[in-house]
Amino acid sequence: MNAHRLAGAGALLLAGSLASGAVVSIKADEARKNFVSCPIVRDTASVPCWLTEYEGETYFLTVQSDVTAPVTPPWLGHRVLVEGTVSAEPRICGGVVLKPVHLSVLPARDASCNVMLPAEERYNLTFEPPRPPGPSKGRLAFDYTPPTPPLTSSAATSTREFVIAYDFDATVGFNHARPLSDVLDFARAANAKEIEIVGHRGAVLLSNGQTMVEDPAIGKTRAEQVAMLLQGANLKGPSYKVTWHDEPAKATGVDDYLSRRVVVTVRAE
Amino acid sequence: MRHLLVSGCVLVALAAVAAAQGSPRAWWAPGQGTSLPEVSTYDNDRGQLGVLNASGPLDTKGHPFFEPIGTNGRACITCHQPADAMALSVRSIRERWAATGGKDPLFAAADGMNCPSLPPDDPRSHSLLLERGLIRISLPWPPQRADGTTIDPEFTIEVVRDPSGCNLDPVYGLRSANPSISVFRRPRPVANTKYTTHQNFGIGPFIGKNGMPTSTDPLTGKPTSMNLMSDARAPTLAVQAEDAAKNHLQIAGALSAAQIARIVEFERQVYVAQIASAGAGSLAEADGPPAFGPRNVAAGDAGVLGNNTTRYVFPMAGKWTTLPRTSNEAENARNAARESIARGHDVFMFRTFWIKDSMHLNSVGLGNPTKRTCATCHGMHMTGMDTANGWMDIGTTNLPWASEVPLNPWNEAKPQMPLFRVTCKPTVKEHPFLGRVIYTQDPGRALISGQCNDVGTIVMQQFRGLAARAPYFSNGSATTLRELVDFYDRRYNIGYSEQEKQDLVNFLGAL
Repeated sequence: MNAHRLAGAGALLLAGSLASGAVVSIKADEARKNFVSCPIVRDTASVPCWLTEYEGETYFLTVQSDVTAPVTPPWLGHRVLVEGTVSAEPRICGGVVLKPVHLSVLPARDASCNVMLPAEERYNLTFEPPRPPGPSKGRLAFDYTPPTPPLTSSAATSTREFVIAYDFDATVGFNHARPLSDVLDFARAANAKEIEIVGHRGAVLLSNGQTMVEDPAIGKTRAEQVAMLLQGANLKGPSYKVTWHDEPAKATGVDDYLSRRVVVTVRAE
Repeated sequence: MRHLLVSGCVLVALAAVAAAQGSPRAWWAPGQGTSLPEVSTYDNDRGQLGVLNASGPLDTKGHPFFEPIGTNGRACITCHQPADAMALSVRSIRERWAATGGKDPLFAAADGMNCPSLPPDDPRSHSLLLERGLIRISLPWPPQRADGTTIDPEFTIEVVRDPSGCNLDPVYGLRSANPSISVFRRPRPVANTKYTTHQNFGIGPFIGKNGMPTSTDPLTGKPTSMNLMSDARAPTLAVQAEDAAKNHLQIAGALSAAQIARIVEFERQVYVAQIASAGAGSLAEADGPPAFGPRNVAAGDAGVLGNNTTRYVFPMAGKWTTLPRTSNEAENARNAARESIARGHDVFMFRTFWIKDSMHLNSVGLGNPTKRTCATCHGMHMTGMDTANGWMDIGTTNLPWASEVPLNPWNEAKPQMPLFRVTCKPTVKEHPFLGRVIYTQDPGRALISGQCNDVGTIVMQQFRGLAARAPYFSNGSATTLRELVDFYDRRYNIGYSEQEKQDLVNFLGAL
């Protein structure tokens, strides 16, 4: 983690006028857990469980499935930003279930994150995982979520807004091929005249009161990269308007992952 | 100086060829003009390879794939021999050297030597070709796009070790007037191309492993699988033919449209697969497993995922799992060999192990590590390739996993492969598994994309005709199928039993 971008408790108080509402909200919602920790992988008789520990408790993050999973497992060798909510589900693999949960593999390597636990009978899954640890049974683990519906009702057929979500401090990766294709498909079908791209820089209020802010240039980097990729896919007809926000979003501790995004507006008229 | 760097193993190897293999096998010479039958078979150590011309017998006279259309006497057939599964085995290379004293066009200075500046006709000048079956590939630095514009790479590259002399050569090297990097790679099979060029599952306008734009077919504009070459630099058979004609055949001018069309037409209908096993007998019986033989390969569905129990990568249809024993010893031995192949299939398909720190595998949503099987990555029906754009780093060229000569006072062998130090620039994120500084024998896809995360990533190959075209991996570092299996066993700490290894080797050798 980048120390200069992590504000301590004192800094949080200093910024109280901005964040006080969020702090109250967090205290009122003990179920929300936002923290950075090392992931832990536990083997089972089937697919591995991904866990982590925070303040003396073990949390269940996800199980291994495939590339269609809405929550994909983190990486040993890297810390993970966890943004989740404690659910009422029974423990899985010994961990309190965080659901929904958003995981961001942090870019910096951390060799201390290297715990692999062996399978134990008491931690075997009590449900059939979305797919086994080898060949599937003929279908992918999850259905692909259809693209975002049009948000601009007055011009639904000619303008569409797409939100591209990111992990913390991340740019385009494996999980962006689909969303980018959605943009491309619509722009081509609509014979787009203009594409407006706005990059955003996110921030997360952690459960310990600290705020984690993304790289100062990430909004610019994201926006320019999306433009470059669409043009690289030969979408060169429309004009491009590329802007970004250098200031991070206000972190509230509630769904802060939504602040890490690029908004692409495709206009055909 | 150079003589100190090249290995003395070459002469020993050539002597071994002459002693152990007797008379040379059939070599298809450029311009020989004979017909390539509908089905032809070629002996190899594990049985027989079958080559199928699905369109029927081919008259090769005047055909641009078979004629020496370049200036160096080579044809496409030179490095894509039918006996070698339309690729090139080191056995054939050595036989060719022995038969011609190194005069065959295969040994052309441009890429059949470790570096064109070395003394000709000296086997030490061709050691990488003779010992590991490697052709020199010279790529511009910094990388260039298809339109010739320059890519600003995410990393710097330095030459740490240069046994060939070519990367520091004043004419051909990194500091020459045309800065170039020489890497050394195995020729790939030019067969079963409906699979290697499919535009089906997993192929879209953006690459499913990193979100970058997919290379498109310059004629149709459609996204391609980018699975033809080890670095995915040529998106189509036509582009590859043009690239090869220029760089390997040293053609004067360029291929004509008619020549390209005829080459591609041939390549689209030729299929290879092992057709008989030395131990297991025929692999092409009508009631045998539909995984085997060139006709089954020709009949398969292209570009579909086989990493499932509904289609399978290599469908065995439940055959050969348990076969009877009789008083006929020969039949019992055959059945035992067939059962071993079936068990090897199950090791390939179902034996899980932990896959860790492999770029474009662990980074694509499976987690690091992921508990999976061989078929996870090698999932394309009938070929075992990746259905999606398929470059990964499994450690064949990147240290610390790449095969390196042990350096000590008691070992006279010297490294053969170049070694580069790649440093990711401060403006980009470090490689998630290897860090900011990476040592590699071949940067692979990164020499085309300029991206740090692509360093040492290689497009995986099809599994067909393996018995006919040793050695294996893009850098020829696995001399045998057993060494190939052993590499994976070490790399991923699999812990295969001796039985599992043998079964897996037998299975791979039957493909």
